Amino acid sequence: MDMLLAQHLLNWLVQGSILALVALGFSLLFGVLNVIHFSHGDVSIVGPFVALAVMQYLLVEILPHTWASALILAAAVAIFATGCLGVALDWLVIRRFRTAPAMMALVATVALGAVIRELIRMLYPQGSNPQPFPELMSAQFEIEGLSVPISTLFMFAVSVLMVAGLYVIMHRTPLGMRIRAVAQDRDIARLMGIHPNRIFAATFFIASAVGAIGGIFYASSAGLVRFDFGIQLGLIGFSAAVIGGLGSMHGAIIGSLVLAGIDTLAQATLADGAAYRLVFAFLLVILVLVLRPSGLFGKPVFEKV
Amino acid sequence: MHGVDITAGPMARRQTGGVVQSVAIVAGLEIGGAALLRTFLLSDATWVVVGLLAVFGAAFAALQIRPRLEEHIAVAFREMRLFALLLGCGIVLIYPFLMQGSSYALHLLITAQLYAVLALALNFQLGSANIPNFATAASYGIGAYSSALLAIHFGISVWLTLPVAAVVATVFGFALGFPAMRTRDTYLALVTIAFGIVIHQLLNNFTWTGGPNGLAGIPAPSILGHSFNSPIILLGFRLPSQANFYYLAAALVALSIVCARLLHHSRVGLAWNALRSDELAARCQGINVVWYKMLAFGVDAFLAAFAGSIYAFYVSYIAPDNFTFLVSVTIMTMVIVGGMDNTFGVIAGAFLLILLPEKLRIFDDYRLLFVGVVVILFLLLRPQGLFPQRPRNYGDH
Repeated sequence: MDMLLAQHLLNWLVQGSILALVALGFSLLFGVLNVIHFSHGDVSIVGPFVALAVMQYLLVEILPHTWASALILAAAVAIFATGCLGVALDWLVIRRFRTAPAMMALVATVALGAVIRELIRMLYPQGSNPQPFPELMSAQFEIEGLSVPISTLFMFAVSVLMVAGLYVIMHRTPLGMRIRAVAQDRDIARLMGIHPNRIFAATFFIASAVGAIGGIFYASSAGLVRFDFGIQLGLIGFSAAVIGGLGSMHGAIIGSLVLAGIDTLAQATLADGAAYRLVFAFLLVILVLVLRPSGLFGKPVFEKV
Repeated sequence: MHGVDITAGPMARRQTGGVVQSVAIVAGLEIGGAALLRTFLLSDATWVVVGLLAVFGAAFAALQIRPRLEEHIAVAFREMRLFALLLGCGIVLIYPFLMQGSSYALHLLITAQLYAVLALALNFQLGSANIPNFATAASYGIGAYSSALLAIHFGISVWLTLPVAAVVATVFGFALGFPAMRTRDTYLALVTIAFGIVIHQLLNNFTWTGGPNGLAGIPAPSILGHSFNSPIILLGFRLPSQANFYYLAAALVALSIVCARLLHHSRVGLAWNALRSDELAARCQGINVVWYKMLAFGVDAFLAAFAGSIYAFYVSYIAPDNFTFLVSVTIMTMVIVGGMDNTFGVIAGAFLLILLPEKLRIFDDYRLLFVGVVVILFLLLRPQGLFPQRPRNYGDH
């Protein structure tokens, strides 16, 4: 019984950590900069594909038999490349909708997500099929008969670190101050010598890179990755960010843990819980939004007349 | 395409071009549009499809460059309203006879018409009141499943299941509208997304909805002893059995257009437009914001359920995957591409987004990519949609 409980707890931590990394990006873009970017889930899932491609190249061409270092190098390249992809998407498409009505940006970025998925499917060899993804680290240690994979602790540590890091960036560094300034008033920020477009680029880079980490974790914990995983990852990540309160960094991780908790609870306690996991997760989303429209940790918005 | 006049109100500046000219413009556009659509539907050659798209694009480029053209057309349609309407109805009625008995072309037309109804339903919310709703596919599904279940398990006449399904979906629509009242914009969008996913997952999991396999063997309707599965034979012409559903769907489109126009010109439509412009100001004017928002959800679900029922009876097999989040996104794209709050535009958007991917099956692998790119380019280059909404005008009718 205790073993089972512990397994569920570990599972919960992994899921929550992965979600938090995707939710952070949503929270930064939607919450802080007020950019509507519904393709963030698809951008995040580009990460594992780049990592896979780079790793295969490394293993074949340059560093055979060095699995671990190839993986680390590939992940680093993938995170950087995905960050750049985010900047490129902002530059090509998303920034053109900055002053458009919210619905336009919403539909445009949903279409953008479809374009990203299709590009992955066509550019990656046999992209329509699921691609096996290696485990990040296979080692595990034992506590009182319970085997704990190191990767679980690693993922949780990384996501907590990212939340803390983003909090520090947002509130303690000049970059964070600029981001908040641009979010508050773009024109005044420009008068103060801030280039809004550079700030947007920086934020997109951070959000997409963090999302790529989430995507890589997602792929490695599932053991495989497919071109259309981004839809669900994006929807659940966005939900987690909204539950926590858009714009709040610690809200993102708590929202993710709450959503992952519901998911794990449903799977653990109900006979066919796995089938109903999305139902419970999204019912929770509706419930939270009805009871607390700006999320658990969001600041309520008052309308100025 | 279909005989709907695009006049939503006279222009401020009146131009009269003479009766003959107006008749020529109206007849030319309607017959020309129908002919283009027919060629598009019946051609298999890629270059024909691409050529027609180029014609279409050139027409819109002309409108974009010379807005006066659009005004002329609008004036002509307004002056010849009755003629435009009758000619349009005539074209819709004889259209199946021009399809050379191609059941594939009729199938495409039926699908496009059903989606036109869905897009019109969503238009009440997105276009008129600017309420994002990603749950239209859920209402569509609820309608389809309700009438299918009633017809399969209780043997209730198809015609009776239509209103019942609509009422069921409307109840769900109000149920969705109720929690939605506390949230706005992106948050409201998420509530509707969540609702749509919950409905899809429930349809996928319940045993009495057939689970992921869906429901099969939905009986075809019949009218005056004529089953909808048998071909229509009229004056020596033999139309494939799809023609039955073509006329049924056309009737539903007509009903939706009538609803849309009545609502647009009523106090309700005005209240929705007021909500869209400024919710706070609308509230200060004594408009019951909550009620009108709920009403928008209800009307959307009501019409979508009709489309769902007819879809279920037409294909006689439904599965949860016909009613996913991506279907809702497609419907929303139709409204935005066609032109928000413009009845004709929304229908044109639905036809375009259904027919285009079908005809691009030749490119198969690049189809979705192409549609995605086109949608993005569209929103960038003509953000007001194909047919922009027209300002309301009171007075000189």
